[in-house]
Amino acid sequence: MKVKLWGVRGSIPCPGSHTMKYGGNGACMELRVDGRNEIIVIDAGSGIRELGNSLVANDLPNGPLQIALYLSHTHWDHIMGFPYFTPIYIPGTKITVHGPVSYEDDPLKDVVGGQMKYRYFPINVGELASDIEYKRLREEPVIELGDGLILTTKFLNHPITALGYRFEYKGKVFCTCYDHEPYRNLFITDPDHPEYDEAMAYEGEDVAKEQNQAIEDFFKGADLLIHDSQYTEVEYQTKVNWGHSTFEWAIVAANRAGVKKLALFHHDPDRTDEQIDEMAKTYCEPGKYGDTEVFFATEGSEIIL
Amino acid sequence: MPSLSTTVGKVMEICSRTDASPNELNKVISLDPVLTGQVLKLINSAYYSLVNKVTSLTRAITMLGMNTVKNMALSTAIIRSVSGAKKSRALPTSKFWAHSIGTGVCAKLLAKANGVPVMECEEYFVAGLLHDLGKIPFGDEYIEVLSRVQGEQRPLISVERDMLGVDHQEVGKMIAEKWKLNEAMTSAISYHHNVEDAPEEFRVRVAYVGLANMYANILDLGYAGDPFPAEGPEQKMLEITGLTWDMFGEIALSIEEEIEKAQVFLQT
Repeated sequence: MKVKLWGVRGSIPCPGSHTMKYGGNGACMELRVDGRNEIIVIDAGSGIRELGNSLVANDLPNGPLQIALYLSHTHWDHIMGFPYFTPIYIPGTKITVHGPVSYEDDPLKDVVGGQMKYRYFPINVGELASDIEYKRLREEPVIELGDGLILTTKFLNHPITALGYRFEYKGKVFCTCYDHEPYRNLFITDPDHPEYDEAMAYEGEDVAKEQNQAIEDFFKGADLLIHDSQYTEVEYQTKVNWGHSTFEWAIVAANRAGVKKLALFHHDPDRTDEQIDEMAKTYCEPGKYGDTEVFFATEGSEIIL
Repeated sequence: MPSLSTTVGKVMEICSRTDASPNELNKVISLDPVLTGQVLKLINSAYYSLVNKVTSLTRAITMLGMNTVKNMALSTAIIRSVSGAKKSRALPTSKFWAHSIGTGVCAKLLAKANGVPVMECEEYFVAGLLHDLGKIPFGDEYIEVLSRVQGEQRPLISVERDMLGVDHQEVGKMIAEKWKLNEAMTSAISYHHNVEDAPEEFRVRVAYVGLANMYANILDLGYAGDPFPAEGPEQKMLEITGLTWDMFGEIALSIEEEIEKAQVFLQT
């Protein structure tokens, strides 16, 4: 399997002199599996535009494109590149868009296609020349994708329904875990608080622990894990419940789960190249966090598994 | 399903507030048997393809977050309040509500008094809260049933079978299965009057609910149409649960306090 990162930034694209090294485009990655025609794309942040151009230049001459797009969730930074993904305008292209959707927002087609209305964009979703199918995904322990490729999906902790993806092929594992914040007990734990409820306090604690363990089990033994790490521990103190993780959490959890390579991902738009270089000295020192190799995700980089 | 409007206003108020706490949200939903059932149903059908996954509101709020659960509760409550669903004329809403809450609180307190781990106690509450779900869909013919129960001083369930050909446990079972409630809860709804028929695995929990139901009737907590239940099963249920009559005495005050607190919460 080969993974190429086309966008690594969180929240909003932020091109400029301070993001030239790690990249300013929003979440998008390409997964190629040996001998498989279908191109797997995860997320349609602004990075998908350049991926589309590359597919048209390099793959289209070999025949019509078959693309499976998996959305981690439908927040705008993960879908905003879709209207600029050139293959959607090319007849003969077949695209299946998979993703989670909250029950009140169902169907997925309206959520993704909703940004292609005349009030937002000059082309309506109904006018696209390619063949696009939408499939809502839930949490599934095993989805056989054919050719020995297996997908597992897992609900993550984010203000809207979000999914992590785990692809397994010939003993290699590639896993995504973003946008995600560790689960925590949301219920009041102070027995003197007037709203305190003992059962809620205990069960909340129990479920949070159980779910954090379930997430680690989900990426257990991954050869490559792309994990949300938008904040430092200090920054996180004022961003609780925003649905993102800290560097520290991602590294410790990945290490506990025996992950081989961890890509710190979903960089905050205010994070400069200089800051990331400085942080890399702390977080990416070889051997510091056991056997897990830690690095900051960089736009345009390729990882072969 | 007909509305239990007692709590709808409060649900709408709390779910519309941006600063509502997880504790408040949990509490307001859990005070409405139909809403609790519908929210769990939605979660299990809309989000989890694996059946029996989410069994309590605490779990639902932790796993899916405040926003999702709030939206579910709000939309369910709004649909109910505007759809003009017919109300049961046979069982007055406020009394049926009090009986459901009373049974839930009682099942929870009995479980806690008998050493059931605290984090499992909410499931006992929900099972008690929902045990009479099967009575809600009955229409006006239920007035006749209840009046015969009074006249002949017979157990409700046998009159239901005679007059309607079906009892509220069987109807409840159908709803529970449709709503994808877990097997423990479905068993409590389906067998609280004949605990020995419950699957062995869930018999203890069903017995707690059966006893809680009985005790709610003895304490006159609300009214659910069964003032002359069959005699005999309580001894068997005490054996199954290992509860003693003394324990019932110990929790009596707490039950009334919890119900009173719930009423105050809903009215303020």
